[in-house]
Amino acid sequence: MELHAVQFLDLTVANVVGLLVIGFVGGVVSGFIGSGGAFVLTPAMMSIGVPAIVAVASNMCHKFPKAIVGAYRRYRFGQVDVKLGLVMSASAAAGVWIGTGIQHAINVKFGEAGSNLYVSLAFVIVLTIVGGLVLYDTLRIYRSGSLGAVEKTARLAKWIQALEVPGTMMRFETAGIRVSALFILPLGFATGVLAATIAVGGFIGVPGMIYVLGVSSLVASATELVIAFVMGLGGTYIFATHGLVDIRLALILLAGSLFGVQLGAIGTTYVKPYVIKAVMAAIMLIVALSRGLVVPVYLAQLEVLELGAYSRAWLQIASFWLLILALCVGGFMIIGAMLRGHRAVVLQGKQKQVLQAK
Amino acid sequence: MSKRNLYLKLFVSGVASTSLYFLLYFYESEIMEGFTRTDGFYPMLPVLAALLFSFTHGAFTAYFWEALGVTARRTK
Repeated sequence: MELHAVQFLDLTVANVVGLLVIGFVGGVVSGFIGSGGAFVLTPAMMSIGVPAIVAVASNMCHKFPKAIVGAYRRYRFGQVDVKLGLVMSASAAAGVWIGTGIQHAINVKFGEAGSNLYVSLAFVIVLTIVGGLVLYDTLRIYRSGSLGAVEKTARLAKWIQALEVPGTMMRFETAGIRVSALFILPLGFATGVLAATIAVGGFIGVPGMIYVLGVSSLVASATELVIAFVMGLGGTYIFATHGLVDIRLALILLAGSLFGVQLGAIGTTYVKPYVIKAVMAAIMLIVALSRGLVVPVYLAQLEVLELGAYSRAWLQIASFWLLILALCVGGFMIIGAMLRGHRAVVLQGKQKQVLQAK
Repeated sequence: MSKRNLYLKLFVSGVASTSLYFLLYFYESEIMEGFTRTDGFYPMLPVLAALLFSFTHGAFTAYFWEALGVTARRTK
């Protein structure tokens, strides 16, 4: 069966400037929380008229080289567990293969509106669940008042770490865990399927490593960049075999996001782990709402629902501005946290100098 | 790295990165035609282009932040 012909975006000056800004903020977010920032970029591309399947394919293409740059920088900060990243990547590659197959099948059967609906629904479900869980955890830490305290390992992770399955146990030095491969491989597979669906597998990969395997949030977000590299490279190739990668979009996003990803990675060294979680939760929930608003529009395009032209336009405008709000909230929270952290470090340095002078 | 060395690297990587983006702009239609072909070696083109742009532009952005004095906090 033939794929529905995809319409590539006409690049106007406004579209190029928009993509550069979106790329930069998405890069800051992705360098900071390690989940690719793609969850902001895919909906942003869809908002300016890129079909979902092209947005996902181009996003994966822009993301994998950026992931390796981020991974290398955070490896130098001692935050990447390369072994865990590679083990999860192995099963994630299989997940990407299955996920791209599903995307392709939906596009063949239901066309662009079907693809848009599938990707948007996946965003709403995943972002609401993961964002809600991360928000709950952040509030718990905040209410306990122990903001600077070392992260506690989740109860589920403790149970899994204590489980001995002979012949499958693996030790990961940087992550500081010993756990059965039987838990790591399904986690990697699910990460891969999600990556091929919405161009970001980090929503399963990062919380999975934190809450299921018991890895610290800093190491989990850094290690996810290794997995994102492997999945992005494989996914780009598979989507390219269907002619779905818009290289212009990928490279323009890359121009902005490479400035951002390095700034975001530097930012992680100035903040406490709960700040990373707070940023994740805020952006995820706003983006979920933004995608949720356009679900009725795609249902109307598929003639499942009746919706007037006026209502469709308003829902699309509201969705677009909520997305802009998510980008601004994320950008301000990260840069604000970095500036506060930087000021504290400078102040500490000055105090030391004064003490030494005495 | 001395300041002079850093600025030289910033300049060279900046010129390389800008040149690549100019090529993309001037040969947009030819690039899109070749990069959306699905036969033979063509699907590898987006992968290779993304890597090339990333390493060139990535080097430039790293020197850019370093030149501005935005660096990571050293862990003890």
